[in-house]
Formats: sequence, C-alpha cells, structure tokens
Amino acid sequence: MSLANRIALASPQVRAVCVEANEFPRLSAEFGVRGVPHTVVNRGGAFVGALPERDFVAAVLEGAGIPVDEGPGPGGPSTELGG
Amino acid sequence: MTVIPEHVRAQLKARFELRLTGPVDLTLYTRPGSSRLILPAGLGCATCEDARQMAELLRDAAPEKVTLDVVDTSRDQGRAEADQVNDVPTMALGVDGESGRIRFQGLPTGTEFPALIDAIERVSRTEHSLNAVSLAELAKLKEPTEVMVFATPT
Repeated sequence: MSLANRIALASPQVRAVCVEANEFPRLSAEFGVRGVPHTVVNRGGAFVGALPERDFVAAVLEGAGIPVDEGPGPGGPSTELGG
Repeated sequence: MTVIPEHVRAQLKARFELRLTGPVDLTLYTRPGSSRLILPAGLGCATCEDARQMAELLRDAAPEKVTLDVVDTSRDQGRAEADQVNDVPTMALGVDGESGRIRFQGLPTGTEFPALIDAIERVSRTEHSLNAVSLAELAKLKEPTEVMVFATPT
C-alpha cells in the first residue's frame, strides 16, 4: 500500500485508497479479495501481492487503459489484469 | 485510548519531530459511533470512535504540522459526496485544503498503521521517492485513476 500512496503523491491523477478488508466484507467480496495485498485499479483490473515499483506502475497504467511498453526483465509484470 | 499504546505515542511524537517538515491536513470522515454494536448497513459505525481517537493522537503528536478536520457525514452528506467518500471511517491525507488523495478506509491498525505513518511523513516531506522512469510513465495518466489496496491488520 505504500507504493500506491507514493504514486498518489507523485501523480495528481491518482487517488490511493487503502481498505481494511475485514471491516468492509461486502466491498471485499465485490472485488473477489481472497489474499492481501489485493490491488484494484479503477474498480476493474486487479492483482494480488506486492510488486516491484516498475511492475506496480505498469499495472496501474494498464488498469487505467494505457498501453505499457514492456521493458527488459523476466517476463514483465506478474499481474492478472482484467478481472 | 487503547488503539495506540502510550509508549507508541511517545515514539510517534519523537519521530514526527524529526521527520515532518511541512504541513499535513488530515480529514476524518465519520459518523456518530455505535461502539461495537452491529447495526444495519448505513447506521452507526463500529470503528469511527477509535478512528477519531487515532486521528486526534496523530494530530497531537505534531500539532504544529498536522491539522485535523472531522467531517460527520450524517450531518454533512454534501461534503462526503463532493469528496467522493463512500464509507466511514475514512481518513484522508492532503495539503493546502485539497481533498486528500491518500486515503485509509477503515481503522488502520496492524500492518496498515506503519503505512499510515509513512504516508503522513511522505506528504509532509512531499517525498514520493519514485524513480524517473516511473514518473515518466505516470505522466501518461490524463484521467482520474483510483488505486484501491485491500489489506488486513495481520
């Protein structure tokens, strides 16, 4: 959640919301939260687990519908977007 | 106040004294508490009172830097709607009176508490620590984008 907050601090377009999953079970169920951290971008694309900065930023852009240039690295972002 | 023990409060005060350099505006969106009673959706708020006490402790740890605005959404629904706050308690962090874009929905205890402290310090220092490549990528965002991170206290 720290990365999400840092991104919100860096970009005026981003709002980061850290949700206490147990306290909002309906919201957690709505987004299929089974493990944490579970990150949802624009209430659409989601990924589970902590990602390195490059992959996290790429996942945010992809969730916002912006094409991402795959940089060098082992297999690119390990995300499961589109859920 | 049981949410934050006394020794942690002292540590927090010392830490904020060292690390906060600029102002931080905390806004807590809340609703009159019902303590631990389970009420139908939309009524009461089981953790709002704890969240209010936590927010006050954060402010009191550095009152010269941290401001706190408590919004009772049952009385000021227009403010909650304008700031796009759907659930309580929600704590928003910002500066210069803007609607905070870093938010914690629910009582931020356990692993979320260090993230809250980190966020307060980063807002105060305007210190995102992202690299230049990430900033260039984020500059491509032209529309409001919401990043929700679900977490648990343990």
